[in-house]
Amino acid sequence: MKSMKSLWFKGTSIVLLATVILSACSGNSDSNNAGKKANSSNTPTLLTNDEPLGKYDPPIELSFVRDLNDVVENNVLSVLEGETIEDNRWSRIYEEELGIKITYDWIVKGASTSDQYVQKINVTLASGALPDVIPVDATQLKQLADSDQIEDLTEIYEKYASPLTKEVLSQEGTSPFDAVTFDGKLMAIPQLESSIERSMYIWIRTDWLEHLGLQPPKTIADVLVISKAFKEKDPDQNGQDDTYGLAITKDLWGGAMGLEGFMAAYNAYPNMWIENGDGELVFGSVQPEVKKSLQILQAMHANGEIDQEFGIKDGGKVSEQIAAGKIGLEYGEQWNSIWPLQLNRNNDPNAQWQAFPIVSESGENPKVPLKFSTTRFFAVKKGIAHPEAVIKLFNLHLEKNWGESAEFDKYYAPPEAESVWQLSPVTPYPAMKNVDAFRAIDAARKAGDTSGLKGEAKTIQEKLESFKSGTSEGFALWGWERIYGEQGSMGIADQYANNNQFLMEKFVGAPTPTMVERKSTLDKMQTEVFTKIILGGSIDEFDQFVADWKKLGGDQITEEVNEWYAAAK
Amino acid sequence: MRAKLIKELPLHLMILPGLIFIILFSYIPMSGIVIAFQKFIPAKGLFGDQKWVGWDNFEYVMSLPSFTQVMWNTLFIASVKLILGLIIPIIFAILLNELKNQVIKRSIQTAIYLPYFLSWVVLGGILIDILSPSGGIVNWFLDMLGISKIFFLGDNNWFPFTLIGSDVWKNFGYGTIIYLAAITGIDPGLYEAATIDGANRWHKVWHITLPGMRMVIVLLSVLSLGQLLNAGFDQVFNLYSPIVYESGDILDTFVYRIGLLDAQYGVATAVGFFKSIISLTLISISYFLAYRFAKYRIF
Repeated sequence: MKSMKSLWFKGTSIVLLATVILSACSGNSDSNNAGKKANSSNTPTLLTNDEPLGKYDPPIELSFVRDLNDVVENNVLSVLEGETIEDNRWSRIYEEELGIKITYDWIVKGASTSDQYVQKINVTLASGALPDVIPVDATQLKQLADSDQIEDLTEIYEKYASPLTKEVLSQEGTSPFDAVTFDGKLMAIPQLESSIERSMYIWIRTDWLEHLGLQPPKTIADVLVISKAFKEKDPDQNGQDDTYGLAITKDLWGGAMGLEGFMAAYNAYPNMWIENGDGELVFGSVQPEVKKSLQILQAMHANGEIDQEFGIKDGGKVSEQIAAGKIGLEYGEQWNSIWPLQLNRNNDPNAQWQAFPIVSESGENPKVPLKFSTTRFFAVKKGIAHPEAVIKLFNLHLEKNWGESAEFDKYYAPPEAESVWQLSPVTPYPAMKNVDAFRAIDAARKAGDTSGLKGEAKTIQEKLESFKSGTSEGFALWGWERIYGEQGSMGIADQYANNNQFLMEKFVGAPTPTMVERKSTLDKMQTEVFTKIILGGSIDEFDQFVADWKKLGGDQITEEVNEWYAAAK
Repeated sequence: MRAKLIKELPLHLMILPGLIFIILFSYIPMSGIVIAFQKFIPAKGLFGDQKWVGWDNFEYVMSLPSFTQVMWNTLFIASVKLILGLIIPIIFAILLNELKNQVIKRSIQTAIYLPYFLSWVVLGGILIDILSPSGGIVNWFLDMLGISKIFFLGDNNWFPFTLIGSDVWKNFGYGTIIYLAAITGIDPGLYEAATIDGANRWHKVWHITLPGMRMVIVLLSVLSLGQLLNAGFDQVFNLYSPIVYESGDILDTFVYRIGLLDAQYGVATAVGFFKSIISLTLISISYFLAYRFAKYRIF
């Protein structure tokens, strides 16, 4: 999860957890496939193995490597009788329907971002003993492609990918394929991660708003008013000056308590590569708009709206303040109600939070910056007999979850083990699926009949009803209701999508040579300077930072990024 | 010769597991040092067709803008930790040894030993709370004494001393136990003889206890000198933040960010190699000096 690097440990694990949970609650495709058979034994039509879902006869073996995260271990395998990581409903259906027998060279306990997994993958790459299909990140993929160890999949993908697979993988434009194309050759299959899930929202404690007689924000000026009021007007009515306005952390950025959504109000898009007027890519952090937003933050800090000690607190520490009811305003992604806001609700059942769309200075719709979040690519070892096999796995995985013959409740998220989908070595999903689920639920809600919901939407609707029932079990699902309920954050994602507000990151290639050498130095400098300015340093330090950034490799990186951009166009 | 070897065979066999361990986990991986002189790309294999770059990785690290600052921070923090980490346990062990009441002695021993078992991840969270200028117990106490508040973890003047203080507090209990063990090994007859000769408590500490501890002190000093470039990654990583980079960023955290996060293995190895050379030199020198001045030898 490269894009989340700034929110190191806790952040990353939380995001992962949230991604895991939320992808486990995703939408069904809109295929109104009422004629779905109740029993799953659909008779396969005879296919030759040249087709996207054709079967190999005799079966072939395909080796992978994989991680085994806590969720799969504790919430899936431990509750399913007679299924193991090597032999389960996914491995069986791949063998039955495709004639592909999946084997694992090794399985490492821990998440795919954990040190042990990353090290193991690197050791595997270094040893040269590659499995047939290798899950890699952008840097590793470039190394493999440069050292000529993997297959060119250009024609194979064209020929074997099913229409559904092609449609799903192109849901966010060409960038996932730009990321895996070297000299015009497709060297891996990207497992598209939804960037839309990374959208930012303003999370506000609405019970405080009501106490103070304030309205939800329409412009950034309103946000500043709310922040000031939350600091000065004793929103929790305990008679003490112990509350803050805006929550920020020492990392400044990230999916919870991050500043990306705040800065977007001023058309500032730090940490991403965006196009300037001339069609060239520039780095968002060194644009003058950032300077302006830093000045605003500096003023907020001087006024005590930002914790004077934010510079030493990470997301975990700041979440404790939120849980204790000291903060009522933060920018973050759609899942923030599950963490950290649910902690606040647990402590104080009267605490109520709601996500609002991010706002601009003028009141017009701001751009919602989205970092490129696909970081897992499947490369195929050079010279194996059936390089197309992995594409067939993609085809079937999507088909069984969102296609015509979908059995969502068996293969994706059965109630007893919601993360069953993770048993498959490949786990592509439609990028808009959570928004789609919200749309389905919302439409059913408005029609007053939720009985027709199926798949993911049905699972989520059950959670919403559990929350409404007011049981203690339902109480813990408040975070879900804040995402998919009538006032849920997903409704805003829907609105962002309809208004075309997304601003996608334009550079999606592997880190360039100078980036590898200089990125951490430049990152360090950026965090230091930005933090110092917010804490009251001279705003001129920003100009100095821009000059230093250019001099210490920024100019070089910009050049390399634009070379990549020209080649990828 | 041979008869001697056979006689001592059990002893040689006893050392075998340790030897095998060191060969497997220390000597064999040493071949990986070659990575320090390469532009290492994992996909090409450990001994594959890597590009040799000579001293480039070393030069690259030293050319980075904050390298001198990081080097200075490392030396300063590590050397103060080293000195205090030696002296304080010695003083404490001697003081504890003077206690007659065994119950009090044991409970103090346990109490000061406890923090040693806490990880820096846990302690980091606790320290942020108790050292906080707004509502932390330490600053509340300073406030009571009329001293102005101190932002221990966010002020560049204080941060290194916060690191040193918390490190000494965490580890001195462990050192104390080693020295207490050394004191226990001193012949009680010496103390009795000194009492007859009219020595007071202070005389006994100076002429019997300290000389009796000398070998252990020298050994621990020699070994700890090798740590001069280790200012404590776990601790710093869990306590530092961008506002105190300039006073708290040390070699290890620096390399963690440039070498591991950005996957520059050549650079990370180069710095590790550099640290090992420095440590080896320091240990060799101090071992030689210990022999010259204290007649101390391990072998």
